[in-house]
Amino acid sequence: MSDVEPTTETEGHHHGQTEGPGYVTPQAAITESDPEKIAYVMSLYVGTDVDAPDFLSVVDVDPDSETYTEIIDRVEMPNKGDELHHFGWNACSSSCHIGGLERRHLVIPGQRSSRIHIVDTKDRRNPQIETIIEPEEVFEYDLSAPHTVHCIPDGEILISMLGNANGELPGGFLELNDDFEIEGRWDPPGEIQMNYDFWYQPRHNVMISSEWAAPSTYYPGFDLADVEAGRYGQQLHIWNWTEREVEQTIDLGEEGQIPLEVRFLHSPETTHGYVGAALSSNIFHFFESDGEWHAEKVIDVDAREHEGWEMPVPGLVTDLLVSMDDRYLFFGNWLHGDVRMYDISDPAVPRLADRVWAGGHFGDSYPTGEHGREVGGGPQMLQLSLDGERLYWTTSLFSSWDNQFYPEEAENGSVMLKADVDPRNGTMELDADFLVDFGAFPDGPARAHEIRWPDGDCTSDVWQ
Amino acid sequence: MTTYEIVLEWQDGRTESIRVEADETVLEVAERAGLGLPYGCLTGACATCTGRLTAGDLAYRRSPRALKKHQQRNGYVLLCIAEPRSDCHIDVGSRIQAEMMSNPLK
Repeated sequence: MSDVEPTTETEGHHHGQTEGPGYVTPQAAITESDPEKIAYVMSLYVGTDVDAPDFLSVVDVDPDSETYTEIIDRVEMPNKGDELHHFGWNACSSSCHIGGLERRHLVIPGQRSSRIHIVDTKDRRNPQIETIIEPEEVFEYDLSAPHTVHCIPDGEILISMLGNANGELPGGFLELNDDFEIEGRWDPPGEIQMNYDFWYQPRHNVMISSEWAAPSTYYPGFDLADVEAGRYGQQLHIWNWTEREVEQTIDLGEEGQIPLEVRFLHSPETTHGYVGAALSSNIFHFFESDGEWHAEKVIDVDAREHEGWEMPVPGLVTDLLVSMDDRYLFFGNWLHGDVRMYDISDPAVPRLADRVWAGGHFGDSYPTGEHGREVGGGPQMLQLSLDGERLYWTTSLFSSWDNQFYPEEAENGSVMLKADVDPRNGTMELDADFLVDFGAFPDGPARAHEIRWPDGDCTSDVWQ
Repeated sequence: MTTYEIVLEWQDGRTESIRVEADETVLEVAERAGLGLPYGCLTGACATCTGRLTAGDLAYRRSPRALKKHQQRNGYVLLCIAEPRSDCHIDVGSRIQAEMMSNPLK
């Protein structure tokens, strides 16, 4: 536990009319929040020869600060080999009416180790590890490979688990209680085989989960033979949120291979959302109509020929997010190197509004200028400011997959980049003055993955 | 318990020798010796600890789920679940895993 007194910033939440964490509506999140001053970023050494554990970076993103764009604190995990990847909060706006709950603890799983770390951010600039759930405790529930963390109302936490205790299928969901102990397996085993990301929309009693593959398939790296053998996913599962049962499964087909991030629009009223099919490099729009859920391909990223590559290079849409005002969809083409912004005021007909290029196999390797640092990977995990005016991203996907498509990422480390967004005019522009270098630590260069803000963000907050 | 000499060889020429008993994994002894080998799941599912056996015999504690048959035939081994059955020479370091999984589109 931290013995540092809370700063005024720590206490400076804008609760509006809420008693609990977060904001009463998505619009309140936009108007009542302050611009982000720090970012939490997953940072990792797993799979390299650097003999050190993965860590949580605290990045200064306050342009008025003397340490702007610097990593001002690192919380080292106690063990090596975790592969820190995605993470989440103990509570978000879905519990905004529940007094006594705070958005304060980060739940940080090790994707490879199956270890789950709970980090206290009471002192935002100097978080401390509070407790750890060891892999053996997780394996007891015949689950492994923790991925997406969402808090659920009442202080409980739900984590998608991609494999069984052997790292094979089926995966499922693990539930933690508000004391950060395992409550149990959330789903009846066998409801799904493959798992990946999920999002719930409580007002419609629905949760949607997506599919990557068995951990033993994707952990070692990407093998086309596994795609041909049907070992990668292409389905969406529509769950009855309260009954914990799959009510409908949608097969996205050939054009929907490896559906990853699931993003509902933020309005609690909406039944619209998007999922990105990474391998097929398509965005699907999902929605409910006449009591049935549907998914339709609405964006198709064409593969491109690349000199020296035998096969056309897919965009590899790996992350996407929806702005808090539900007006824009952003996604990155990790292999191509562009980040795109679409107007989704008609969710069924996204309109390309703007895009920036940075790194990747087709973008500028020096997007911040000749004297800037070379960017090895492509745009990967995205995070948008609550006001929708600053889009940030990191460049590493997954250690073993990076090694295949961007081997230089292991040698040089990742970067975090930023674009300034003009929501009024639907434009964005790379900020050439912003680059966070994860390549310059004393232990060696690190990869960087998911990004979160202390006061909630576009990829974790849900409203009841 | 029988003890074997395991010689670990990195691509940059570094070599280390460790004594591993027949009921220990190569990785756990290497970790105890502070040699800094890469690893991940520690259960044989993820291949982060992949090495390449160039001489000797290893036996697995459980099934090496992260390796395909052709990779095993080519000498790739998972050090987190591998116990020695003879003296061994093993190529180690993160490059071995990277070499096993090349870019499939290139």
